[in-house]
Amino acid sequence: MQDRRLKYVLILPAALLVLGTTIWPLAVSLVTSFRDWRLTRSLTPGPFIGPEHYVTALTDDPDFANALQVTASFVAIDVALTVVCALGLALLLRRAGVLHSLTRAVLILPFAVSPALVGISFRFMFNAEMGVFTWLAGAVVPWLQGYVWLADPVAALLVLVFSDAWRWVPYMTLVVLGGLSALPKEPEEAARIDCASEWQVFRDVTLPALMPVLAVVAILKTVFALKMFDQVVTLTGGGPGQSTVTLAYLVYSIAFRWYDMGYASAVAWILTAMLVFLAVWYMKLILRKPGGA
Amino acid sequence: MNGTRATAARRRKLVMKGLESAILLLALFLILFPIVWMALTAFKRPVDLFELTLLFTPTLDNFRTIFAAPWNIGAALWNSTVVAGLTVLISIPCSTLAAYAFSRFEMRFKGALFFTILATQFIPAVVVVLPFYLLFRDLGLLDTHLALVIVNLAIVTPFAVWMLKGFLDAVPTESEEAALVDGATRLRVILDIVVPMVWPGVLVTAVFCFILTWNEFLFALILTRDNAVTLPVGITRFRTERGDLWELIAAAGILISIPMFLLSSVIQRHFVRGMTGGAVK
Repeated sequence: MQDRRLKYVLILPAALLVLGTTIWPLAVSLVTSFRDWRLTRSLTPGPFIGPEHYVTALTDDPDFANALQVTASFVAIDVALTVVCALGLALLLRRAGVLHSLTRAVLILPFAVSPALVGISFRFMFNAEMGVFTWLAGAVVPWLQGYVWLADPVAALLVLVFSDAWRWVPYMTLVVLGGLSALPKEPEEAARIDCASEWQVFRDVTLPALMPVLAVVAILKTVFALKMFDQVVTLTGGGPGQSTVTLAYLVYSIAFRWYDMGYASAVAWILTAMLVFLAVWYMKLILRKPGGA
Repeated sequence: MNGTRATAARRRKLVMKGLESAILLLALFLILFPIVWMALTAFKRPVDLFELTLLFTPTLDNFRTIFAAPWNIGAALWNSTVVAGLTVLISIPCSTLAAYAFSRFEMRFKGALFFTILATQFIPAVVVVLPFYLLFRDLGLLDTHLALVIVNLAIVTPFAVWMLKGFLDAVPTESEEAALVDGATRLRVILDIVVPMVWPGVLVTAVFCFILTWNEFLFALILTRDNAVTLPVGITRFRTERGDLWELIAAAGILISIPMFLLSSVIQRHFVRGMTGGAVK
């Protein structure tokens, strides 16, 4: 049958695109990560030095340790906040009502805004002198009046989380709403007839059934939080000090400020390894589902 | 006894209802406020910028300024359109063919192949861009549309294959099989029968990929300097040594966002599927 060859021909263009634009650069980065190559010294790749960059990053680089810790904090707060808010909002929005449909209608908007623009707008709104959020926070909590959010290491990280959650919570709410609408109605109604309280219905019926969707939300959000870059550039610039330098931003700094391609590749690959690990987990989760994917 | 319990229950219900409305109002405020504030700022004169009042004399000057020299945001608008448009035009046909093969045929290594294509969307862009930066520097392709299109294909193609496979799986195969029995070739069947049936899905995927490319920042930041700067990098130019020109940033921000708002509302129902690849319907 002609189909036997044709099916591979059909896949070829897309496979070549993925091969050329992703697999090839990944391989080159991996090779480069074992080389000593600073663009300031030489325009061509230097000698192989073995796993030295990896050893340095993992044992002897305060910048890497700092970025790892910043990224871990960012991911932990961001993912927890996103999952909880998206779940709560979706449960509320499941019901009918004017406010409900109005909110559902605007959920898609933040995700359409460029992350770089989100970062720069939040920088404006948290500006010390005339940022509207600075002012609002001061109006609600008096001792926050005139607080310089982006000059405090912890507050700056929280503003970064806020800006990211602003973009992702509404989107993930849509995802959870999709999951909720796919659940069968009967178990919840049966539990209500048995006089279970709303909280019991949620804890014992809705939440367990929703677990697969929440897992998707949590893993996807972890992946995108680990890659966090755009808003770091436009919102905090990694500061104050190095308090918001994420791993992706560190790679960028090493490569394009210090021009150390070998070391940048190694750090990039450590980040990649974490993400590939998550990717495998995620695929198993969704491809196992019959009729999924 | 019964009566008081009923009133208590009703009162509790009323409180819950009020609480629910309050939370939703807060959510609406949080979602809309940054967008509204940006829109308002775009029409403010610099003197009104630091006023937190809603009453000001609106002006279109900011929009005139960003299109004039030295900002020339029109060039970035053009670059963004060309890069996103070309990326979609290259990616969608290739992805449609691959998605069709994944949807209709059994093959060796199918699982592994599909898995590889999908897994690539988890790769951080920063690891992809390093080799491309060096390659484009050697080839003299830095700061060109071509360079941006190539790297953006890395992001867009896996998404497109995944989304399109979902749409193709949902298309019934009877008319395809009938045409095949009648002696039509597989390619004719794809072009004449499958593509017209899955056309809405192709459009949705194209729009989704266009939005992804349009908003892309990291590649454009590293690979462009002057000629090929796209809008997301273009707005960072308004942060000058003389300070941040917020009113111009806001005007350019509106320019970037309005087309994406329109596009995303068109495909709203399918937007969720794009990112989660049909894991969540």
